[in-house]
Amino acid sequence: MRETGVRQSVLFFLYTRGTKYMFMAQQASVVGMHIPDGYLSPQTYIPLYGASIAVWGIALKKIKNELSAKYVPYLAMAAAFSFLIQMFNIPVPGGTSGHAVGAGIIALLLGPWTAVIAVSVVLIIQAFVFGDGGITAIGANCFNMAIVMPFVAYWTFNLIKGFSQNRVRILAAAFLSGYVGLSAAAFSAAFMFGIQPVIAIGPDGMPLYAPYPLSIAIPAMAIEHLFLFSIVEGVMTLVLLKYFLKNESTLVYAMRGDSREEA
Amino acid sequence: MRNKIPDFLLCTPKRAQDAGERGTLRPSYIEKGIGHLSEMITTGYLNVGQDSGKGFFQKLDPRVKVIFLIFFVIIVSLKTDILPEAAITLFTFLLVVSSRINIAQFYRRIAGLTFIFGFLVVFPSACNVVTPGEMILPIIHLSHPYEFLIYHIPEEIGLTRQGLDCVIMLSLRMMNSLAISLLVIYTTPFHRIIKALQVFRVPQALLLVITLSYKYIFIFVKTVESMYLARKSRLVGMARDDEARIWVAGRIAHMFRKSMSRYEEVFRAMVARGYAEEVKLSDIGELTATDRRSGGFFVLAGIFLLWL
Repeated sequence: MRETGVRQSVLFFLYTRGTKYMFMAQQASVVGMHIPDGYLSPQTYIPLYGASIAVWGIALKKIKNELSAKYVPYLAMAAAFSFLIQMFNIPVPGGTSGHAVGAGIIALLLGPWTAVIAVSVVLIIQAFVFGDGGITAIGANCFNMAIVMPFVAYWTFNLIKGFSQNRVRILAAAFLSGYVGLSAAAFSAAFMFGIQPVIAIGPDGMPLYAPYPLSIAIPAMAIEHLFLFSIVEGVMTLVLLKYFLKNESTLVYAMRGDSREEA
Repeated sequence: MRNKIPDFLLCTPKRAQDAGERGTLRPSYIEKGIGHLSEMITTGYLNVGQDSGKGFFQKLDPRVKVIFLIFFVIIVSLKTDILPEAAITLFTFLLVVSSRINIAQFYRRIAGLTFIFGFLVVFPSACNVVTPGEMILPIIHLSHPYEFLIYHIPEEIGLTRQGLDCVIMLSLRMMNSLAISLLVIYTTPFHRIIKALQVFRVPQALLLVITLSYKYIFIFVKTVESMYLARKSRLVGMARDDEARIWVAGRIAHMFRKSMSRYEEVFRAMVARGYAEEVKLSDIGELTATDRRSGGFFVLAGIFLLWL
């Protein structure tokens, strides 16, 4: 009798409060995709630190060559701007509103290499100051949101836009660059989570870090990103690029003729 | 004596999100934006490095604290048993107490973040659907097991001992990492943490970029907050979504122009003060005997925890 009562209480919690808190958790952890400490094993986060450091080195060198002594204040302002984009909530069709990661639009406005450093600086500040994302996971978070996302967004934009000056095509390219960029970053994060039960298990075969296998991690991240969060990102990228093209098209890096060769 | 202020000015205005008497509360994009900003300023500016008291951690050199942070966060990630993680929790608690930090406020923040990012996200994995093992709390009994694509749903669904161990382990690991990070953050100004990263050979130019952007974020945040408040004070009723999107795009574009013009000004100011491409941060100074002793203590404690 008592066992039934406990069971019913657990069920009640799962179906009522649990649903609400799960939504909060998803909003907090997955929209931002900030991987906290404890989810990734050392055999995952150490190589990702290495990969991120290598890309930061290349990015710094490229920007320094282009801007000479100006590169330090330029990158600092780009990072501050990148952070501020996340402070703006934008209404999306369906009656809700959300904020974007912004790495895609930063890549289109300032170039993918600048986006690498700007978004990385933001992620480092968020990890150290706000506790958003773990210290050990900085390399992984930067890899997903500051490397994969801006480059995929930038390449998607160029691929779809091509050499066309057709306004509709450019705007479609802008939406898809944000959409595909965030989705790619989400898949990358899901892959990192999903391989943990394979590469880091205890003597009893139990997972030591993120417990969800690829068969759960990828669909979970894919569904919410493909049907919600990536749409917000795409809308934000589209709206911003539309505004810039109308008012100050010369400021947009991705619309300059030589931008493709550099990236 | 009755004052001459009109009644409508004395009424407490209704919040926009309460406009609908029934149904779901849905804060507008303006309120969400203001909420984000105030939360950011509270957690990011008011809490960071503000504890300038005479506690143990406040007296330490930031280099010792940064080495402690990295060393212990790695130890936390390496431990795979509950007992050593519990020992780290106790050790961190003692450090927090000795640093005279407001314990209730400190652990409230950690508990909130651990609950949302750790426990809730991982809790479903305690079910035998994800982590098979010894069932300790059956929840649902189905008529028969199901096969759906690559998924197997067993006849009886419930929590397993192995799954709960995994949830406790991950939550503890996350709580410890957060406690160690926040201990350093609460007791050290941010620019000193970044400067101390020099001990790990992080390029000084990158450290300067981080320090500069941190300062400008808070300057610009004030501007963004003013934009939202100005919008809110001029808005009667609800704006159409397409209008709101245009407004947001315009404000972001304005911030873009502002940050680009500020970068030119900052560069000129830097050049006027002798900056010429080569970045060299000021020296932090020598470590004191207390710093060295504390560093040695942390190394010994870390080795003990690794061995445990």
